[in-house]
Amino acid sequence: MRDGVPQPRVAALALAVGIVLADSSIVVLALPDIYRDLNTSVAGVTWVLISFNLVMALAAVPAALLARRVGPGRTAAVGLAVFAGAGLACGVADQLSTLIVARCVQALGGAAAVTAALELLPATVGSERRATAVWASAGATGAALGPAVGGLLTELISWQSIFLIQVPIALAAAAPILAVAKHEAATGILQTELSRTGRPHLWANLALAMVSAAIAAALFLLVLLLIEGWRLTPIGAAIIVTVMPLAAIVGSRIGPLVPSAKARAAAGAIFVSGGLAGLAYLPKAEVALTLPPQVLIGIGLSLVLSALTETALAGRAPQAIHGGWTISARHAGVVIGLLALTPIFTADIADQREEAIDAGTAVILDSQVNPLLKIEIAQQVGDRLEDEKGKVPTIGAVFEPLPADPEERAEVVQLRDELQDQLDRGATHAFSPSFLLGALLGLLALLPIGLSRRVDL
Amino acid sequence: MSSGLRSQLLVGAAIVSAVVLVGVYLAAGGSSYTPEKTQDPCKHRAWSNPESLGEIANQFSVSALDGAACELGVSREELAQALATQEARERFTERYGISDAELARAIRAGLVRAIADAEDAGALSPLIAGPLTSTVEDIPLNQAIELIQNARSILGSAESFFGPAGELLEEFLP
Repeated sequence: MRDGVPQPRVAALALAVGIVLADSSIVVLALPDIYRDLNTSVAGVTWVLISFNLVMALAAVPAALLARRVGPGRTAAVGLAVFAGAGLACGVADQLSTLIVARCVQALGGAAAVTAALELLPATVGSERRATAVWASAGATGAALGPAVGGLLTELISWQSIFLIQVPIALAAAAPILAVAKHEAATGILQTELSRTGRPHLWANLALAMVSAAIAAALFLLVLLLIEGWRLTPIGAAIIVTVMPLAAIVGSRIGPLVPSAKARAAAGAIFVSGGLAGLAYLPKAEVALTLPPQVLIGIGLSLVLSALTETALAGRAPQAIHGGWTISARHAGVVIGLLALTPIFTADIADQREEAIDAGTAVILDSQVNPLLKIEIAQQVGDRLEDEKGKVPTIGAVFEPLPADPEERAEVVQLRDELQDQLDRGATHAFSPSFLLGALLGLLALLPIGLSRRVDL
Repeated sequence: MSSGLRSQLLVGAAIVSAVVLVGVYLAAGGSSYTPEKTQDPCKHRAWSNPESLGEIANQFSVSALDGAACELGVSREELAQALATQEARERFTERYGISDAELARAIRAGLVRAIADAEDAGALSPLIAGPLTSTVEDIPLNQAIELIQNARSILGSAESFFGPAGELLEEFLP
């Protein structure tokens, strides 16, 4: 204990918030593996993300009310236990439906833990302002680290390990909170200020939802583009998308230099939209070209999320309820983003797949490769594409082994590269409309930001 | 620096960054990074100067596919995919409501066009083009498909196609 602050409890609460909010994005890099292992579709696997965020959005405010009614210690401890148990169920799920149900239960426990933590923190750290800072920073850290940790675990162990590893961590976070829960049970101290709960900040929460939708689009679509479209490994994609949280750190340094929350929110939304528009107009299928847009998105999300969260919580009590509203708005935004973009994206994949296959066939037909070899390649490519029906096509090892004759080998290599280029064009272009819609959502967030007269603190 | 100026600078930097990024990507071809569009099969496709039997067979197949696809009102590429396997062919005919007889008729028309294109390109002697046209106008569907897929083997070992006239055909091919 330092300055009267029980450090293990602060760490436990921060860990609880971090691990739960990481969970809304930690599976992003595992989605392609889940998609293959559970033999589902892009639309189906999206529900592994949507279900968690949807339940978080719906349960955050009721969970905050519950925390104030039955006691935040008990709510947080039970919430973490439920989160851990559901995480175990996610880890052993062998069907998509089981995984989605377990994710819903996990979100219920998570919502209880996160909102109760905001209720517990002021008493633990000594001030409401510091509590908000610890809560927001733990959530941001979790959300930022989530995709990279998820990608690492998926690559090194399996997608199931993402959920299984959360079990001991959640239980470890619950341990120091048990003392508070026991104290509440012994004293029977309950909050009774529900009737004095102020109205949530409509414009800030609305803007949060819209920006979160745009950010969800950025993360989800970029990961799918890298793994399914450009065939990167999960760990490779994890390294690439880490640019976003790194840029967010830069954004968090810029933020304090500008006191106006309205300006930070507006600039953040523009950065996010600009980055998404950049991803929509990638001039080639090259990983390096995703970096500048990611830098803009990272800086933007840090500026806009912190400005809007501060605005939504400033001067409002109780913090847990208003924190619940911000959690609800952010996760609702993620859900809306995924629900709006997935059908567009999957339809575009199908269209672009047809165009890419036709363009690839044209490349094969027009190539100078020996006609008999050409027929063999065309049939193998056709079989491969048929096997991957409904997914972004990859041609993989169709061209192996390469012919021994140097001249024929050069022709086959040229054919392979041209064919791959057409497929890459199709895969990359399939994401453009969704990225553009995400950019539009980010720009639309400027409306509630601009409409609010009370955004400036 | 006043807080108002800092706010303006931040928003201005965001706008400039976004516009520059999108502008650079568009200038580098971002809006045109799409699969190549396939060509209209009814348009004549020029033959390059064929120097070997393999090149003639290659362009013969492409011309035949163009001709057949034009007859059916589909793309050359879609027809090529359809002819790859029996299953693909069945899916194709079912999708477009085409009977085997209609498909055979279209492919024969394609072969006739390929012979004409080969003759125009100087790759096939008129002495051979005439009888070859008469022959392909009556061949069964499977043999017509095989001819498109493997024109070289048939053109190259012409006796399988023309019997004793095969050796003569070899002489008329470049």
